[in-house]
Amino acid sequence: MAKVAREMVERAGVNVDELLELLVNNAAAELTTYYYYTILRVNLIGLDGETIKEIAETARIEDRNHFEAIVPRIYELGGRLPESMVDFHNCSACPPASLPKDPTDVKAMLTVLVEAERCAVRGYTNICNLTAGKDHRTYDLAQAILNEEVEHESWFSEFLGEGPSGHFLRRGDTSPFVSKFLK
Amino acid sequence: MACSIKKVFTKEELKKHDGSNGSAYVAFGGKVYDVSQSFHWRKGIHQVMHHAGCDLTEALGRAPHGSDMLDKFPVVGELMDSD
Ligand code: HEM
Ligand SMILES: [Fe+2]
Ligand SMILES: [Fe+2]
Repeated sequence: MAKVAREMVERAGVNVDELLELLVNNAAAELTTYYYYTILRVNLIGLDGETIKEIAETARIEDRNHFEAIVPRIYELGGRLPESMVDFHNCSACPPASLPKDPTDVKAMLTVLVEAERCAVRGYTNICNLTAGKDHRTYDLAQAILNEEVEHESWFSEFLGEGPSGHFLRRGDTSPFVSKFLK
Repeated sequence: MACSIKKVFTKEELKKHDGSNGSAYVAFGGKVYDVSQSFHWRKGIHQVMHHAGCDLTEALGRAPHGSDMLDKFPVVGELMDSD
């Protein structure tokens, strides 16, 4: 634990134990989504499926990056990950992004994907709201992740016919916002 | 329309449905919703800091979503006015 780092956050009026639980639940959401998106990605085949495979893959890799970026902050603040991966899975802040019954139904696939991203957008907005002006480092981290979640949402929602997102596919490296926490 | 008499919950009755015995009810805007089946209300806890068995009308104002999230859950009654 980074003693003074935690003390600063406590003194600013943040309930650090609650924040830690939220961070663990969101770290769980990231790693489990990475897993479930792996299954979605391998099933994105055929003319329609292949079209969205690349963004699903980018979103998958970035979610793993989000997990990697959150974990150090959990330990800095004096928290830890559950010993059991089963417990970790089950405390996820977002539901499993399970493969639809009919994996050839691309609209159903996109709906699973966009809903997972929307849950993440809401979750990180909440962490930003709780830490803004108080816990600068967690805020910076949550805001970086939020930037990427908003882009993930926009990629999938565009394919669902919800209108133009204004975004391009990633060019170059993944995680343009979160990468500074991965170095 | 048989059997449609609305149940009126007192705060104490609502409190019993805090999710600890499998039944999670939340009050919003005078209505009581059954969220027991929701992934997001496992054990009656939502986003670490919200608890079933309570009137969350005010708390929802700070949520990153609107009250439409409650639309898909059954209304099981009304919350008795406390004053
Ligand atoms: C700071 C406060 C809150 C936060 C951060 C929060 C966050 C969330 C998130 C992230 C979701 C998932 C949405 C999605 O998948 O896109 C959700 C769903 C939901 N929230 Fe909240 N929420 C808060 C307060 C509340 C309150 C006070 C209520 C009750 C009156 C409430 C009722 C619900 C319901 C019913 C759902 C849908 C559950 C489902 O679909 O199974 N939330 N909330
Ligand atoms: Fe993520
Ligand atoms: Fe994402």
